[in-house]
Order: sequence, then structure tokens, then C-alpha cells
Amino acid sequence: MDADGFDTLVAAHHREIYRYLLRATFRASEADDLAQETFLRAYRAHRALPPDANGRAWLFAIASNVAKNHFRAESRRRRAHAAVLETRSETDGAGPEGETLFKETRAMLDTVVAGLPFKQRLAFTLRKVHDLDYDAIGRSLDCSPDSARAHVFQALRKIRRSLNGYELPLGRDER
Amino acid sequence: MTRKPSVCQEIEPALVATAIGDADSATATRVEAHTRACARCRENLVRYGAIERAVGVWRGAPAPAEELARERLTSRLADLRRRTLLYRIFPSPLGPILIARSEEGVSCIEYLTGGSDFAHSRLSRDESIEALQDGAEVEGLYRDLLEYVEGRRTRLEWPLDLRLARSPFHRAVLQATAAVPYGAVTSYAGIAGEIGAPRAVRAVAQALRHNPVPIIVPCHRIIGTSGDLIGYAGNRVGLKERLLAVEGVPTERGARAPRVARRVLYHYDRNDERQYCLPTCGSIARRPIGRVTLLASRELAQTLGLVPCTDCRPDLHPISR
Repeated sequence: MDADGFDTLVAAHHREIYRYLLRATFRASEADDLAQETFLRAYRAHRALPPDANGRAWLFAIASNVAKNHFRAESRRRRAHAAVLETRSETDGAGPEGETLFKETRAMLDTVVAGLPFKQRLAFTLRKVHDLDYDAIGRSLDCSPDSARAHVFQALRKIRRSLNGYELPLGRDER
Repeated sequence: MTRKPSVCQEIEPALVATAIGDADSATATRVEAHTRACARCRENLVRYGAIERAVGVWRGAPAPAEELARERLTSRLADLRRRTLLYRIFPSPLGPILIARSEEGVSCIEYLTGGSDFAHSRLSRDESIEALQDGAEVEGLYRDLLEYVEGRRTRLEWPLDLRLARSPFHRAVLQATAAVPYGAVTSYAGIAGEIGAPRAVRAVAQALRHNPVPIIVPCHRIIGTSGDLIGYAGNRVGLKERLLAVEGVPTERGARAPRVARRVLYHYDRNDERQYCLPTCGSIARRPIGRVTLLASRELAQTLGLVPCTDCRPDLHPISR
């Protein structure tokens, strides 16, 4: 891939990589740092990327590695979990105004997702927010596609169990 | 008292798969049959669906400080790109050679001494740059260099990036040196005169000692005013001799060092009209090389737009070697 190809990659994917890392770290400043780290690493390595490679999945894999290294210190992970409780609004987008209940349940969802084991949380975010397939998630998390699927499944099951008792807004046909 | 599990455990993976749209049709049918009979699982399926929708909101939501993050990245990437050099180390008839380029052009050619790995390169000690090993970008230049060293190519038309020059003065010296053509030889004093600093002869020699792109900026064509080959790649005058030989500039043994064989080279005094002479013409062969440029061939003289001297007529009496 040449320099122009790399510019295209940045333009196309910086936004979602930043959001992914925001989900991983819960702090805009850390997501900013880690997104920079991701793209600087990508710049150093992009020439070796085959022309037909999936650049998007490749960037998510780098971002996942950067996040993994960042959280290697257990204390950081604990601090991040605490941060989500304090600064939930950082990851909480505008959302539909006035829907207090909906906002609360989404905030609850944030908290529950923040409490998931790291790999499950990343697998869940990659699958549910960024629509990566299980092959790409496996490459991101250094595991098989089946393990990636299992991480997403475990994450969902834990979320569902944690949210029992909290009413998530139901679809119209389910009321 | 034991709590009853909230969902039938064997169906739960299928339930989740159905809720998030990962299920094949057989699984979906199995879930449908099960949830018709089991109220608790039916309820859980609805909950999974609700989680799915709540997460869906995350997808479209704007993230805070996104634009700022992008701006910061742009600035750091620009800095990294400016500092990045792609290099590779090749074997060559002149010993291991490192070639590096930036996005602007060739920025470093280095004869490695003491070993052929990157630790022996000056780039490994320069903290202002980020050197990345990458063959493809410099492979073409390497091929051209090999042809050049073997005498099968006379031009190396690669864009240059003189960022590793140590000062604007050094850069000016390198640019003046780059203008000395293939098969021509002039002196440090000559280059000093060219850049309007005739007294800065030693400084010119220093600048060429630190030439970051030898061969392409042909510092081997710059010699002492006496004709001695002094200084090249540290003390590798033999390399200088070899490169000059490739260009048709013969050398001979001198008192202190090898020297160019003036008696078989055409002479051109830049103070004269645009004439080139035989070395036997008047006192020209005894003049210092400061003003005089030596030329390997008549063809080169013609290429430079010079005319044969009307006294010695080098066109009628070409030098025989």
C-alpha cells in the first residue's frame, strides 16, 4: 500500500477506531492517545500490507492490540471501570432527547458492558457496534473465530443477566 | 433453596444467536418451537432483542472530542511522515551499502564499515529520524547504483532529499557538487568559488565529508587543487579512485596520495572563454584545479557546450590513452 492508500485508510476509519477505543477505555483522552498509537503503528507497517488485504479489519486488530497493552496493568482496568461510573456521559452520545428511562437503561448497559472481562467486552463491541465478522474478531483478539463467537455469546448472556430487573425499552410489537 | 435457572440452558446459545441474527434457519425454527412452549425463554428472547436495539443506538451516536482527536492524529502523522526514512542494506562491489529514502527523495547512501547490519549505520544513532526497513522502495535505486558502479549507467536521476545535510551551507555545497557532471573533476576550492565563498575551502571539504548521499551527489569528483585524491568516506580513497575510473578519469601514484592523471585529461579554465584545451596547451596543466575543471572526454566537453581551443585544437589532436 502506498502513501495515498494510507491517507484513504485514515480518512475512512479514524472515526470508528476512535469510537471503538472509547468503548474500550471510557475516556476520550485515552481513546485519543490509543487511536493515535494505532494509526502511527499502522503507518509504520502499512507498506507490507498486501493490496487485497482488508485494511479495516487490520486496523481493528492493531487497535485491539494497543488497547490490550494499555490495559495490561490491572490497576488501569480497575480505574477504567471506575471511570465509566463517573464519566458515563463521555461515551453516551446525544440519543433521543427526553427519553429518561431509555437513557437510564442505556447508561445501565454501559456500566454492565464496562464490567465485562476485557476480551468479551472487545468481542462484543467489535461484533455488535462495528459489525466485524467472527474471523476478523478472532484475528483482533488472537483467538479462533469460534472463541470469538463464544466471547460475544458470554458477553450477551452476562449483560442479559445483569440487566434482569432493569427494563430495557421494548420494541413496539413487543409491548 | 436452589434458584431455578432463568433460561433453559441447552437452548440459550440458540436463543442468543436468534436474537442477534446469527442463527441459521434450523436454529431459528428450534427456538421458535421452544419459546412457544416456554414463557421464560420467550421473555428472555425479548430481552436479548432489547439489548440488541440498545446497543444499536451506540452505533450512530456521535462520540465526544472526535474532531479534536482527528486533528491531533493528523499532526502527529505529518510529523512521523517527515521523520520516516525507509532503508535497506545491500551487498555491492563497494562493500555493504545502505540506501534510504523519504517520501521526498533519496536521503542517505552510506558505505557501512565494521558490519552489514543497521547498528553500523549513522541512522541508528540519529534520534531525529525514524528508520524503517523496507526493501521495495529503494530496490530500484539499488539496481541503478549497481549499473552505475559497473559503468553501465551514467545518470542517477532520483529526486534528492537533503534533510540530513547539517546546515544550509552544507546543502549549498551539495547542490553545487551535484552539478559537476559525469566524467568531470574539480576541486574543493572550485566548489567554494561556485557557491560564492572562495575562502571556505576547508568548510567545503567538511561538508563533503558529511555528504549524506555519496555517488548521487558525486563528491568523488571533487579533489585537491594539486590533483591529489584526498578524503573519501572516511579514509577510503581507493573507493574514490574506483568511482573516477568508472567515469573514465584515470589516476596515478602521487607523492602523498593517488592523483588524477592530468596529462590524459582535457582541461577547461572557467575564467577563459568557453574553450577546452589539451593539457599541453600553454600553462594550463600547471594551474591549480581551483579554476580548472578536468574532463574525461571530448564528448563531455561538447555536451557542456564548450568549443575546442583555437591554439591547441583538441578536436584535431585528441588525447590518445
